[in-house]
Amino acid sequence: MSIALALVLALVLPRPAGAAIVQDMLGRDVALAAPPTRIVSLVPSVTESVYALGGQARLVGRSDWCDYPPAAREKPSVGGMINPSIEMIVALTPDLVVATDEGNREETIVQLRRLGIPTYLVHAHRVEQMLDMVTRVAALIERRDAAAPLVASIRQRIESVRARVAPLPAPRVLYVLWPEPLIVPGRTSHLTELIELAGGRSITAGEGDSYVRFSLEAAVARAPEVIVLADHSASGTAAGRQSPEKWQRLASVPAIKAGRLHSIDLSILHRYGPRVADGLELLARIIHPEAFR
Amino acid sequence: MSALLEVRDVAFAYPRPERRRARRFAFAGMSFSVEVGEVFGIIGPNSAGKTSLLRLLTRVLTPARGEILLDGRPVGSLAHWALAREVAVVPQEAPRPFPFTVEQLVMMGRFPHAPARFFETAEDAAVAREAMAATDTLALAALPLEELSGGERQRAMLARALAQQPRLLVLDEPTSHLDLRYQAETAQLLRRLNGERGVTILLVSHDLNLAAELCDRLLLLHEGRVARVGTPGEVLEPSLLERVFECRVVVDKTTSGRPTVQLAWPAERR
Amino acid sequence: MTDRRRLAWALALLIALLVVIAVAALFVGSAALSPRAVARALAGRAERESVEAIVTLGLRLPRVLVAVLAGGALAVAGVAFQGLTRNPLAEPSVLGVTSGAAFGVVLAQILGLGAGVADAVAVAAFAFGGALLAAVSVYVIAASPGGLAIQTLLLAGVIVGIFFSAAITVVISIVDFNRLGGVIHWLLGNLAPVPAGSLTVFAVLAGAGFVLVLRSARQLNLLALGEEAALQLGVDAERLKRRVFLAAALLTGTVVAFTGPIGFVGLIVPHVLRGLVGHDNRLLVPTALVGGGAFLLAADTLARNIVAPAELSVGVITAFCGAPFFVWVLRGRALRVA
Repeated sequence: MSIALALVLALVLPRPAGAAIVQDMLGRDVALAAPPTRIVSLVPSVTESVYALGGQARLVGRSDWCDYPPAAREKPSVGGMINPSIEMIVALTPDLVVATDEGNREETIVQLRRLGIPTYLVHAHRVEQMLDMVTRVAALIERRDAAAPLVASIRQRIESVRARVAPLPAPRVLYVLWPEPLIVPGRTSHLTELIELAGGRSITAGEGDSYVRFSLEAAVARAPEVIVLADHSASGTAAGRQSPEKWQRLASVPAIKAGRLHSIDLSILHRYGPRVADGLELLARIIHPEAFR
Repeated sequence: MSALLEVRDVAFAYPRPERRRARRFAFAGMSFSVEVGEVFGIIGPNSAGKTSLLRLLTRVLTPARGEILLDGRPVGSLAHWALAREVAVVPQEAPRPFPFTVEQLVMMGRFPHAPARFFETAEDAAVAREAMAATDTLALAALPLEELSGGERQRAMLARALAQQPRLLVLDEPTSHLDLRYQAETAQLLRRLNGERGVTILLVSHDLNLAAELCDRLLLLHEGRVARVGTPGEVLEPSLLERVFECRVVVDKTTSGRPTVQLAWPAERR
Repeated sequence: MTDRRRLAWALALLIALLVVIAVAALFVGSAALSPRAVARALAGRAERESVEAIVTLGLRLPRVLVAVLAGGALAVAGVAFQGLTRNPLAEPSVLGVTSGAAFGVVLAQILGLGAGVADAVAVAAFAFGGALLAAVSVYVIAASPGGLAIQTLLLAGVIVGIFFSAAITVVISIVDFNRLGGVIHWLLGNLAPVPAGSLTVFAVLAGAGFVLVLRSARQLNLLALGEEAALQLGVDAERLKRRVFLAAALLTGTVVAFTGPIGFVGLIVPHVLRGLVGHDNRLLVPTALVGGGAFLLAADTLARNIVAPAELSVGVITAFCGAPFFVWVLRGRALRVA
């Protein structure tokens, strides 16, 4: 009886001005007492978006991996994406934490919720979702005016790439996320969409889920015309750079015969943030060099 | 008769143990000898050092002082496999776990004769078969050791020792786990080996009566010292035994004329 | 039947089995080559740059060789550990030795060592070091005056394995988080076609380990009598243990350096072979070399094709076989000892 009464009261009582319930990208409700001014971002692409939108004053904390733009490194870091320090987050007294279900752990999010810290989840592995994310972030940091031009410019660049490569025949592309064992982007990976936008056709587009451990000989049999190796070295050790010698041996592959074996910096392409247009242009230049002379 | 084994003023002590034990003994300086072709028994209370003495004789342990000579040569100067050609040890218990068959076990005894060889030769197989025949285990050759009874296992272990073709056969408590029948069998077997093949036998036993029956000479070990060496009649003397074993005994004579020792039970049991 | 003859028979049988599996492995794969194309490539009559030549000779054949070498080496390492510990459940992955080796490899990669031939030796050295460290740790933990108790040994192995796995995760997370996904896959085992130069290094190292174990096989038999009894028979037990330990660590480290950690081969193969040739290590060691190769090759062929064109890690297959096998052996022992 008293529970029902409490519920009714909660629904009926007026909320303080500025309060809102917003829906995050996973459809969950996030209650905000006021527009957030102390935001901790656990997602690199969100951090990039915040800076691109000019809202960095409201950013009080970031994850270790939020390293772009360089100015972001001056913000205090709360730890890794998988294991951030909840204590440090709490110590920053945020009124909003932005996280993602692809990279942050469910547990972290649950803990934050339990502590009563509003947690907003983003989820973007399609270009449209990414643009939507920028718009939502803009709404959160009250920079809606900055959103439209930013989104428009990204869209325009994507469109221009698409237009350039559209008339050209799409070559078969093999994207190597990890060489041994061979790991490639699958059906639902954003990389597959990017390759398509860049005017190529990923030979593993129909396989599995987001990432697939793939057979090297099947890849060879599908005769890719372009091979793109993801370069991990920017973020860590020299070992992250893939060695092309191993690929040179596959002499039957058209990509090898034509010398179309390329490396691409992992961090640009694998964060689905405002720089996606940069990544797309890089990829398109690799796949269709003739369109960019 | 010359001494096959000679122990001269051997002293030994275990290194200080990690855990305190009531007694950690040492040998102060032991001397005795075993003649070729005799059956020599070492008796004494538990923890008097019988097993440690065996380990010294077979070079598992090295004496701190003194020497042990086999046929005039210091035991320490022989490689382990060379020593194994002359001295064979039958341990108290069969190893566990032990997945091999009796035949494979007996063949292991041939190792010291050609340690560098990979497979054994037909000659080795013949010696092994002969050893099994002598110990009445030929019929058990293909059986896994773990499936045998206690007495059969003991005989198989003995066969392995015989396969080494040793001049000195050392047995550690040969009858401690055997029931009466197998005890008698073992004793008979040992007597036959000694008589027919001239194998010198050294056995360690806490069974005084078995030792008295089997052995030509005995050594009574007490707190790391030789209490007495001599014939069973000389060694199994009531006052000496009472001092060493700290209990009252009665010494009688068996039908074969050997002494037999019994505890003097108190008359009243209340 | 004499030992020599039994060995000859068993080897002939296993080699035949290996050949059959190898042929199957060469003809089956996700590249969908026709048998005729494969045959053409094998006979050397296909164009050097044709798909069938590249796939058959450049991918499948080296992979077959790697699988055979790795399987053989792991099986022999299993026999070695089982002889040393007198415990049929002992094998490199159960004892945590493969985890130690994997840690060594990860360290080597962090330090920048790559995949070239010269680097391959260095990576193998790191793996050997890791394997040795793990093996020694297990030994020190489990050794007691009464010998190596079975339960303690297995527990020590589990602990050491967990420790090194955790160490690997920590190192990667701190140093290079992006690689974590790839490394996690590698940790399940990865048979990849290794180039000829590195393959030679692999073969030489594995061969050295094999020869060391083989030469100790007779003495390992005697170790079953107990160390004291073995000593009294003329076996230098301490040196034997050290030699076999080193050889087993070398074999394990070498395999992990080239294929990542693969478990249970050293458990399943020797156990099955004991049913065929008995417990004599002189027969087990050479047959394990061939039998292990056949087993891992079969497992890898399955892993490569069962969800084609995606692949499973071969370690998944061996683990699915190995875990129930382990339980079966454990129960069997428990019932017998009880």
